[in-house]
Amino acid sequence: MSDERTISFTLNGSKRSCRIRPRVTLADLLRDQLDCTGVHLGCEQGVCGACTVLVNGRTARSCLMLGVQAEGVSIRTIEGLAGAGGGLHPVQQAFSAAHALQCGFCTPGMILAAVELLGENPAPSQAQIREALSGNLCRCTGYANIVSAVGRAAETLRETRAPEATSGPEAAGGSPAGGAENSRPEGAR
Amino acid sequence: MTSYIGKDVARLEDHRFVTGTGTYIADVRLPGLVDVCFIRSIWPHARILAVDAGEARLTAGVVGVLTAEDLRARTLPFTRQFYSAIDPILATEYGLRIGPYRAPVLAEDRVLRVGEAVAMVIATDRYIAEDAAELVDVRAEPLPAIVDPHEALEPDAPLLHADIPGNVHAEFTVDVGDPVAAYRRADRRMERRFRIRRSVGCPIETRGVVAQFEKATQQLTVWSTTQTPHVLRSYLSEMLSMREDSIRVIKPDMGGSFGGGIYPEEVAVAAAAIVLERPVRWIEDRSENLASARHSRDQWHEVQVGYDLDGRIVALLDDIIADSGAYNPFNVTLSFNAASHIRNQFDIDNMRVHARHVLTNKQPTTPVRGAGRTEATFVMDRIMDMIALDLDMDPAELRLRNLIPAAAMPRDMGMYYRNGRRLVYDSGDYPAQLRTALETIDYAGFREQQAAARQAGRYLGIGISSHVEGSGYGPHEGAVVRIDGSGHVTVACGSSPQGQSHETVLAQVCAEVLDIAPEQILVRSGDTALLPYGGGTFGSRSAVTAGNAVYLAAVKLRDRIKEVAAEVLGGGPDRLLLHDGRILDPDDPARVLTFRDLARAAAPGSGLTSAPGLEADSYFVPPTVTFASGTHIAVVEVDPGLASVTVRRYVVVDDCGTMLNPMVVDGQQHGGVAHGIGNALLEEACYDADGQFTTGSFLDYLLPTAAEVPPVEVVHQSHPSPLNPLGVKGTGEGGATSPPAAILNAVADALRPLRLELDEIPLSPLRLFVQIEAAGGLTP
Repeated sequence: MSDERTISFTLNGSKRSCRIRPRVTLADLLRDQLDCTGVHLGCEQGVCGACTVLVNGRTARSCLMLGVQAEGVSIRTIEGLAGAGGGLHPVQQAFSAAHALQCGFCTPGMILAAVELLGENPAPSQAQIREALSGNLCRCTGYANIVSAVGRAAETLRETRAPEATSGPEAAGGSPAGGAENSRPEGAR
Repeated sequence: MTSYIGKDVARLEDHRFVTGTGTYIADVRLPGLVDVCFIRSIWPHARILAVDAGEARLTAGVVGVLTAEDLRARTLPFTRQFYSAIDPILATEYGLRIGPYRAPVLAEDRVLRVGEAVAMVIATDRYIAEDAAELVDVRAEPLPAIVDPHEALEPDAPLLHADIPGNVHAEFTVDVGDPVAAYRRADRRMERRFRIRRSVGCPIETRGVVAQFEKATQQLTVWSTTQTPHVLRSYLSEMLSMREDSIRVIKPDMGGSFGGGIYPEEVAVAAAAIVLERPVRWIEDRSENLASARHSRDQWHEVQVGYDLDGRIVALLDDIIADSGAYNPFNVTLSFNAASHIRNQFDIDNMRVHARHVLTNKQPTTPVRGAGRTEATFVMDRIMDMIALDLDMDPAELRLRNLIPAAAMPRDMGMYYRNGRRLVYDSGDYPAQLRTALETIDYAGFREQQAAARQAGRYLGIGISSHVEGSGYGPHEGAVVRIDGSGHVTVACGSSPQGQSHETVLAQVCAEVLDIAPEQILVRSGDTALLPYGGGTFGSRSAVTAGNAVYLAAVKLRDRIKEVAAEVLGGGPDRLLLHDGRILDPDDPARVLTFRDLARAAAPGSGLTSAPGLEADSYFVPPTVTFASGTHIAVVEVDPGLASVTVRRYVVVDDCGTMLNPMVVDGQQHGGVAHGIGNALLEEACYDADGQFTTGSFLDYLLPTAAEVPPVEVVHQSHPSPLNPLGVKGTGEGGATSPPAAILNAVADALRPLRLELDEIPLSPLRLFVQIEAAGGLTP
């Protein structure tokens, strides 16, 4: 077809430029043209969260975005999360350590949602973690280990990023995850 | 003392999954791959008059449009039911009757349900295929649809299949003891009707198939999201009339799977690859998955129960209607599972279960995690609480009075299992299990908390459910363990994972025998080229069947290693030990070989007197199923204004015998409970009165999210199975078996003064609201 457009954006830190048809979703662009097959499609209706990527640091459903909407943005996928030397991101490490994945299909979206949360809130409570992840469906784990993993990752990130922060994590918003869970958002639906 | 079995070994498969580098079905790439879009029935029941694909075929990028007519010469219909090896004794003992089964790959002259595949459009990409599908004109004459199985049973109901009288595809009656007389004699009698509504397995990855046919060699390779690669190969061989050895089935990484069986799409896509002579791919979308992946549950139970004034159950009679949908691919698997498990952990000597599989214009129902046990357990354990209410007795006390005591194990339950063996609870301590659960949740303390909360206007409730599970279904599972030419250990297995951690757990079993670190062992599965026979992963069977197959193969390999080493080193095998990839004599430092040395010594032509190679296989054939069990207690809070239910606490006490990896067992329990919470409160696959499917997205079909599932507290009992060398019992489905009963019992307990029936799942806020109002409402 002749209606292809050229778009340019940053993908996992590298400038990319590609020609795509306007109707191609961001998810299909990433998977089919840019080999980011860690972007998983679970519903293509914007509900399950498996295709979650970070667009300018914020989670987005790549199944609901068109590829052409990526013009000029910075996109981070699961492929771009590990360090340059291949070392896993603390959230990735914590997911494995806490047995927070089974089949692994929801995992990339879940991890990226957690990365967004921890960027905004370095010491989330379990309730806050649950709320932040409630847009990502998992059928295997029952979520508890995912919540624990995010709590562990938060601890690791606090230790590595802000060892001399003046306000302790307790001041950052409720009891940090890892402690007893005593409240959950009710009836999210 | 074990080195690796029973340890929380971190998962060896995790790295590729946390880095997004797994290869799922949609990640399988082949040169020239084209995409399929299925055209599916929009009618619950219709006669197909014509399929006009002329315009679609002319669309740029369309490679072909295939209908049943186009595939007629290439494929046979399904005529063999899944796991149909039913022992003849069930026919003689229980009058088991199963009707004929014939299900087309693509609809022929009729469609029998919404979502049935009618034709397939194949194009250079999915976008073009979907556009072209819109251009295909399927002309059909709608026929009356039967949606309610009770209507299907009416004497004048139209027949869905001319050769299946009364729309009843399968039927049996199991009698144990003298149920009718015992019921008549009982002090008290109760009659109730229960409904377990329809749900869908819903792995987060949808189904998919990729097929490639090499014409020159007549080799077909099929990648599929299947739980049973070897079974799929045998179906493809039969239905495509091909040699089995000319077909290879590969199951790539798989994003969950909770039941379903072999699907028409798997055959259709393979046939398309043969017809079109190019690689073909179909990746299902979510709406297709909800409508066209097989459904589950959807049973009605009419129950009569007789009990004495002490609360002891003396007779249980259950009349089951299983709504099987348009075809019944799994014959009586679900209803016979219900019959085999409905007595749960209780000592009930007199039972009758009459079951009918009734056909309707809906998606077929098949096993999904729980598979008939979730249904039966819901029925039995709601009855328990109804009896407790009737006798004004505490449900925990009532249960203790009815539990089979540990001293009675093994307990023959007076009937045959589906495999024709006696149904025997082989091991376990049910009263201790219940007591542990009550202590863990602090049952007595909760009652005080409940009373205080009630004073404050809050409705808390507690509910108990127990279950048993015949796990590790046969007939066999295979494993090959070898030391390869480079001295590395490989395990190949016929059972392959959809998330269950085979790569870690089976490595642990092999590591235990060979005394080598699990991470040194490569576990391969999901490929029919690996070994000639395989069962698959379903029915809580892999730890039992594959685990023991790997164990026995590894023991054989250990003997073989010693044999080769003794020949190389001289001096006999008796004092040789394996440790960390070497074989050595602890008393003679000169007598040592690495696995690499051994691999060279055992190579063909090396001069070894025995046959070459370091490889052993084993096919474990379990004598029958082994009974796992569990007791669950849920604490819920009911919001009387919203009629919504929040699960506040959830305790599981589980007996899966020897645990191979407790971390993995806990994960299975957590996930199973979440699935069960969905069944209890959220998940419902709906058809309207005309048979139209109305829950085609995750906005309509509600899966539990992180906000609805509480942390699950798992406590382990371990009564090793006497039926296999490792002593393991299955744990994949127990988690999903008890939550509906535990949660609805807890809701009934929270609202105890209203004496709610709560005889139906899922318990949506609307259904609960209606029941509360019908009972007179809550006074604040």
